[in-house]
Amino acid sequence: MKQHPLCTDCEPELDITHLPIPNGLKREWATVESRRRFLGRSGKVLGWAALASLFGESALHGRTAFADAQSPVTSPGRNNIELPHFAPKAKRAIYLFMSGGPPQLDMLDYKPNLASQFNKDMPDSVRGNQQLTGMTAGQSRFPIAPSHWGFKQYGQTGTWVSDLLPNTAKMVDDLTIVKSTNTDAINHEPAIMFINTGNMNPGKPCLGSWLAYGLGSMNDNLPTFIVLQTKTNPKENNQPVSSRLWSSGFLSSEYAGVGLRSGGDPVLYLANPDGIDSDVRRKMLDAVEAINRQTLAEVGDPETNARIAQYEMAFRMQTSVPELTDLSKEPQSTWDLYGPDAKQPGTFAYNCLMARRMAERDVRFVQVYKRGWDVHGDVVGVLPLLCQETDRACYALVTDLKRRGLLDDTLVIWAGEFGRTVYSQGGLTRDNYGRDHHPRCFTTWMVGGGVRPGITYGETDDYSYNVVKDPVHVRNFNATILACLGIDHNRLTYEFQGLDQRLTGPQPAYVVKDLLA
Amino acid sequence: MIVAERVTDAARSFIQRIRISRAAWLRVAVAAILLITLPFVFRLDGHAHANWLQFLGRFHPALLHLPIGLIVLLPALEILGARRPALREAADFVLRAALALALPTLALGYMLAYGAGDTGVTVARHMWGAIALCICLLLCLLARPAWAMREQAHVYPALLVATLLALVWTGHEGGSITHGSDYLTRYMPGPLRVLFPSTSPSGAAVDSFYSQQIHPIFESKCVACHGASTEKAGLRLDSYGNLMRGGKDGAVIVPGKPETSMLLARVTLPPGDRHFMPAEGRTPLTSDEVSALRAWIRSGATPTATSIPGIKAATQSTEPPPQPVGDYGQLMPEIVGMQRGVNAKLVPVSAKASDGLILRTADVASSFGDAQLAAFQKFAPYIVEADLARTAITDASFDTLKTFTHLRALHLEGTAMTGANLGKLSSLKQLTYLNLSGTRVSAQSVAPLKNMPNLRHLYLFNTPAQPDNATARSNP
Repeated sequence: MKQHPLCTDCEPELDITHLPIPNGLKREWATVESRRRFLGRSGKVLGWAALASLFGESALHGRTAFADAQSPVTSPGRNNIELPHFAPKAKRAIYLFMSGGPPQLDMLDYKPNLASQFNKDMPDSVRGNQQLTGMTAGQSRFPIAPSHWGFKQYGQTGTWVSDLLPNTAKMVDDLTIVKSTNTDAINHEPAIMFINTGNMNPGKPCLGSWLAYGLGSMNDNLPTFIVLQTKTNPKENNQPVSSRLWSSGFLSSEYAGVGLRSGGDPVLYLANPDGIDSDVRRKMLDAVEAINRQTLAEVGDPETNARIAQYEMAFRMQTSVPELTDLSKEPQSTWDLYGPDAKQPGTFAYNCLMARRMAERDVRFVQVYKRGWDVHGDVVGVLPLLCQETDRACYALVTDLKRRGLLDDTLVIWAGEFGRTVYSQGGLTRDNYGRDHHPRCFTTWMVGGGVRPGITYGETDDYSYNVVKDPVHVRNFNATILACLGIDHNRLTYEFQGLDQRLTGPQPAYVVKDLLA
Repeated sequence: MIVAERVTDAARSFIQRIRISRAAWLRVAVAAILLITLPFVFRLDGHAHANWLQFLGRFHPALLHLPIGLIVLLPALEILGARRPALREAADFVLRAALALALPTLALGYMLAYGAGDTGVTVARHMWGAIALCICLLLCLLARPAWAMREQAHVYPALLVATLLALVWTGHEGGSITHGSDYLTRYMPGPLRVLFPSTSPSGAAVDSFYSQQIHPIFESKCVACHGASTEKAGLRLDSYGNLMRGGKDGAVIVPGKPETSMLLARVTLPPGDRHFMPAEGRTPLTSDEVSALRAWIRSGATPTATSIPGIKAATQSTEPPPQPVGDYGQLMPEIVGMQRGVNAKLVPVSAKASDGLILRTADVASSFGDAQLAAFQKFAPYIVEADLARTAITDASFDTLKTFTHLRALHLEGTAMTGANLGKLSSLKQLTYLNLSGTRVSAQSVAPLKNMPNLRHLYLFNTPAQPDNATARSNP
């Protein structure tokens, strides 16, 4: 092989006899790959290529390419998948994501036995071989920190709920509480990627993108998948969340989540500049589209298609988003329910109200991120703030959906990326403690279309450290969510890197049937 | 007196005729008396006794099948022995072996009952059956030589039949102790069932939550040890009255207080705990059963309530099953064409065509009026859900909507409907969901909907029919 003039590496000539492959294979190659055979095969390849060109595009890409040529605005690859696989219970979903890892021990996983074990060491047998984070791995002891707050039973189901969640307590008879959710990762970034995309490494599509890809839009005037971020509270320990979490990965980028801003204009530059009216804008977009189509014809990059669709969506959003975010017509009962916070854009209550308005307008998937749950220290100081911000809003959202008749076909999911430890991180006093990351169990809840109301599923041990009954791995949790929306997680796939990729990954996952209505 | 004398005379002449030694008679008589007095000496008083008794007693189920097999073999050998005398010779050995095994089996069974403190009607029947069986076998042993020498033709066969009857009776009662008294009848085909009328859980209404959900749990998991046959700890769970009466440690159910109800505590202990129920490795209650039990106790543990909040009864299906729609294959090109343009769309519910179509108008709602809806009339029988929320349709559209015969869900929220013709929807037999939130319907205009039995989800939020702050009527 000839060496490149600028290359300083001495590159040996590529020869099969020098490659690190078994000798048997090399011998076989030498006997089989004769000149005659090589030339013969080349001839066949040319023949197939000629035949393919006769059949045209459709033979190369199946029906998809043909359909796209007819209506280029629709997404590539969506037309040939037949979804939902079965009649869904829920048409849309709202995912309230509690980023940082809410402490299940102080909220819904009641452990009355711990009160008497204050400051005692957690038995090593409970901890087993669990890897610890760098933050507590050096601790000489693991003192048990019972919850600072009391628990009471609520509802007909008698579910134990912390005093921090007086509003959530009012709806326990509607909730499907899963105490045995568990994950593989112990740090934020891998864990949050894992629960959102089914893989700890970035690059895979998230749940919302799979839904947008699989089920498509129900309202062409709004994005299929919208992400709402909650303004951070500086008193809380806010782990970053990034657009990787609502990325469409290898799926076309039109299935990525569209983030609405938490302050100011929800979508920047959405209004037409002074002196430009809607007709001028339309003409400009038509011209851009014509150029884009030309590029598409020349280069054939599907991302160009996505770009055309996104321009069109942006144009329609110029009218639909102002109507969506105009809260002036909300009745007084809305404000009574959500509370005064809901009037300030960017608060969690405001986002919950927006999520309800999006559900009304048939947005397929809304994900609301609330950061700050990473309570490594000062649980007693910070957790009440977090609960105040979220408890009433969660209750308001569920109640509002219910009274408006939307909860029948909307699935609401409340989850974080992992749980927190029973033992205190840092000093433990009678008045305060911290909790470290804990992947082996955490509590989540769902409510609405498809799930069974008024049950608590799964159990943890006396230390809320290990699952002792009915574990629900994140994979199975996601498979169950898909099932509520009419999707068989094994059949919603997309071929990439030689694999039929799916949200639940290559390992077997199953739907937790006991959670379904 | 005369009868007694006659029986004595007959016995005396019989003994003389078959020439059985007095010593043999004496031995059998002593053994029979010992067997009969056993329950009176070691009374089954419901208290557990020494552990070693139970330890040995638990070999009773292992041993008991041996004598059964031998006893059943006995008549076969005697009958076939008419042709092949060698078999009849073997029968003598088999009879002795059966007796030699039956006696220790009885002893072990008695140790089991006495050691564990079992009481109850079935245990008693099983015990007396076993004693009778052993006595029959002893008498068979006495009577057989005379029969074998053809000196006496009827006594031994009669005793053998009595032995077999005692065996069947004892075996059945024993099975009832282990598996429950309804083990054989539970899955009996309907026609046979009339012969054995099943006992309904007394003291409870037949359609109550207790009868439908709670009693079957006890019946399958508990009454084997806490029932009419066996009353461990004096507790019987075979009827509502017995359940509430409790056992020798007091009440097991505290109405309204699951956390202090002993029954619930015992079934929710960790499975390894020595107080865990069901004991002895029997199938534990499932989490569904425990939650049904807990909810039932919380709601007051009544024998009459028919539904308990938060518990979905598996047996009763609340929603009628959706009916498949017809074949709309030839309309497909039109449906697909519609999905391209900017207008209302028909989309399939799922990949299964017979699940029907959904009419979606969300993105064109403001320009979608009565005329546009009328254009969908030819698809009417295939549409199972119509989303007309916030559209411009008016009361005039009810004439169109009543032709949507397969409609299950109808969204009319946020429209200008006054509901004047709402009664026309009553022809939609499959309608289960109707959302009228934010419309101007009044209480009397929704009144006709009360006659629609399948309409289970009716939403009237923010309408004159329902004040702003009240919650929706939804009877799931």
